[in-house]
Amino acid sequence: MVNLSGNVMFRRLHNATFVEWLVLLLGVVITLVGVAFVIGGVDLAMLGGSFYYAICGLVLLAGGVFIILGRTIGAFLYLGALAYTWVWSVWEVGFSPIDLLPRAFGPTLLGILVALSIPVLRRQDVRFSNKGAV
Amino acid sequence: MRRPYLLATVASLALTTLPFAAHAQFAPAGAGGPPSASIPGPGKADEPARDAPPDPSYFAGPSPYAPQAPGVNAANLPDMDSIDASALPAMVQQQSASPAREDWATYGHDDNQTRYSPLDQITPENVSRLEVAFIYHTGSYPRPGQVNKWAAETTPIKVGDGLYMCSAQNDIIKLDPTTGKQIWRHNLNVKYESIPYTAACKGVTYFTSSQVPEGQPCHNRIIEGTLDMRLVEVDAATGEFCPTFGHGGQVNLMQGMGESVPGFVAMTVPPMVVNGVVVVNHEVLDGQRRWAPSGVVRGYDAESGKFVWAWDVKRPDDHSQPTGNNHYSRGTPNSWAAMTGDNALGQVYVPTGNSAGDYFSGYRSPEENAVSTSIVALDVKTGSPRWVYQTTRKDVWDYDMGSQVTMMDMPTPDGQTVPAIIVPTKRGQTFVLDRRTGKSILPVVERPAPAGNVPGDTRAPTQPWSVGMPALRMPELQEKDMWGMSPLDQLYCRIKFRKAHYVGEFTPPSLDKPWIMYPGDNGGSDWGSMAYDPQSGILIANWNASPMYAQLITRRKADSLKLMPIDDVHYKPGAGGSAEGNGPMAGTPYAITIAPFWDPFTRMLCHKPPYGMITAIDMKHGQKVLWQHPLGTARANGPWGLPTGLPWEIGTPNNGGSVITKGGLVFIGAATDNLIRAIDERTGKVLWSHVLPGGGQANPMTYEANGRQYVAIMAGGHHFMMTPISDQMVVFALPKDTN
Repeated sequence: MVNLSGNVMFRRLHNATFVEWLVLLLGVVITLVGVAFVIGGVDLAMLGGSFYYAICGLVLLAGGVFIILGRTIGAFLYLGALAYTWVWSVWEVGFSPIDLLPRAFGPTLLGILVALSIPVLRRQDVRFSNKGAV
Repeated sequence: MRRPYLLATVASLALTTLPFAAHAQFAPAGAGGPPSASIPGPGKADEPARDAPPDPSYFAGPSPYAPQAPGVNAANLPDMDSIDASALPAMVQQQSASPAREDWATYGHDDNQTRYSPLDQITPENVSRLEVAFIYHTGSYPRPGQVNKWAAETTPIKVGDGLYMCSAQNDIIKLDPTTGKQIWRHNLNVKYESIPYTAACKGVTYFTSSQVPEGQPCHNRIIEGTLDMRLVEVDAATGEFCPTFGHGGQVNLMQGMGESVPGFVAMTVPPMVVNGVVVVNHEVLDGQRRWAPSGVVRGYDAESGKFVWAWDVKRPDDHSQPTGNNHYSRGTPNSWAAMTGDNALGQVYVPTGNSAGDYFSGYRSPEENAVSTSIVALDVKTGSPRWVYQTTRKDVWDYDMGSQVTMMDMPTPDGQTVPAIIVPTKRGQTFVLDRRTGKSILPVVERPAPAGNVPGDTRAPTQPWSVGMPALRMPELQEKDMWGMSPLDQLYCRIKFRKAHYVGEFTPPSLDKPWIMYPGDNGGSDWGSMAYDPQSGILIANWNASPMYAQLITRRKADSLKLMPIDDVHYKPGAGGSAEGNGPMAGTPYAITIAPFWDPFTRMLCHKPPYGMITAIDMKHGQKVLWQHPLGTARANGPWGLPTGLPWEIGTPNNGGSVITKGGLVFIGAATDNLIRAIDERTGKVLWSHVLPGGGQANPMTYEANGRQYVAIMAGGHHFMMTPISDQMVVFALPKDTN
């Protein structure tokens, strides 16, 4: 019995590790997008353009780094940035699909992945705080 | 556990931030495909004076007074004599004056250039059954080692028993209109070096002689102007040169042109015969030098090929051929678009372009400024302008006139009609003028235009807007119109937009940072022209919204980029300096860098679609838009040039015009989706489409033979539009069992 449950445990851990790596990758992607948003967004804002990218970029950057660190707060930061993106997009161009395509389509796809990663991050959160407690 | 994560983060950040930063600083366009200009960006128009060029004249080209090298006269023809206009024989009525119902007698169908055919066998009900009747291969396409400069743009004509056309390199061909079988072919051996910006031959002209009796060779003739500047006439029955025309059937149009090289000047449109005078114009390669060869327009006797007159802008009172070491005035506005002949008024409508050195106007003469980017009505007996209508003043945006004007009878509110021409422009402003006076029939207002940005080059204070016609243009660009696949390329384009000067359609050229030209030199209406149904009064216009991104650069910077005119001894083809890309503009203070306003990484235009539209305007009832929708699907377009296969009618850039038939159909290719489609003239609904073997960047035509209606289109593709090149003309008809 012990052996068997240990085996199951091992397999779960093994699977979890793979998913964790996927979530890590997601975090890296979001961090990079955030960096690009901040660099380009500051440039754009200084040229008299929209402030959206600079602001959103900071949130994305923070969210991405927290996801890389395995913290659930990172996912919520991303989802916050996504909500901000939608509000800003609709404010700027209304519900025109062709205009929403570049603004919201990609970020929403990423958002679905982020939402799916929340349980994984929760588990890591627990482990993280356990380690922290020890 | 945390340290490796952080290390990975830092490493990835470092790796990816640098390329992005570079991208944001105007990454160079991808190597290879045209056009590959990179715009320097704010503060980078001038190169540091580190290495002065070895010789200031190295990139300047030869003296404009240098003698013409022997090879420029391609067929080594002797000079032509002159003939006085009063000695010209009267012209007999031409086929194009009132074409037989089943014919397509001239480039735009008839003398009015309506692109309307009275054929009605193909209808909205049966068009879906249309199938390929035959395909003809012209044999002209880029060979290995040749830069792709092809865009055949050919429209065949059909008179009697023949379908007459030219290959992209000017071979003249007569086909059996029912089978596509070649009856004769006259090869003119135009060399690859003679191709200017584009290997195009838009068509040939059918001419009936008054001097050669019916039944004799060369009673009916085919006239063509070539890329290497020959005017040729061949017998319509046999294809043999007409011995009484010019020297053995050919006239050297480089006579009097002075210094040039093959490919600098070229003819791509069918010559126009008006009252026995064959009128020829030619393109001069854009952006090369201020003192490029002349844009002179000339008239020759259509019977003998003898010189009748020249319209040389800077010699307004001298209509003779230059003699000795003299030449036609250099750098004057050229006319490359198809002209329209008006036999009744004895005049020809010449669409003009710009003076050479296109984006700097400081050195232009008042005579040039008076006639550039205009429609000029020339008296075909004297070559003198009767009137000039200017559509853009002091043009530095390459809004040159690309369309052939269409003649029509314009109804007036009091029930009368006025003989009119419809004048499309690249600005999307369409002017309707009285043919007799050149005055606008519909309201035109002068609106203030921005002042210049460049020292020594002032801009016109106002520009004309044809408010009586629907504008074929999109609203002015805004930052929020920037588009892309993701927020990242959208952000890139927003930055690019904000880094440029843009204050609307007449944003002046600038040296300190790029400027945006919109609608741009490929915008509005181009050489496809418009189609007009005189019965219903419906005008069909397809048009573009494709901004360009340009910046003037100093001479020093231009030299460091090795920009030099095509006639410079150091010039190498494909090494920069080609038209529609970076241009040296030698002889002016500046050179030009120019590219589409796009993301050079994804090769997608920076602003949101649609990029191409088609509009139907009711000309008889107040010039209202009947219908308008995007033209062209995304099936063959996408990021990185990859076809998406999507049937979504996104509205692609388009080149090439339409045909209207009495059957109630509009046939058009033009878009970059490589489709030819049939559209319901009344509703705008697309009823049928067919995938072509190459880009359909040519005006289609229709004719009838043996009781069967055919629709023909040259699927030649277009190098600049990046559509597949082919040498195939595709002809459609209903299956033989129909009816």
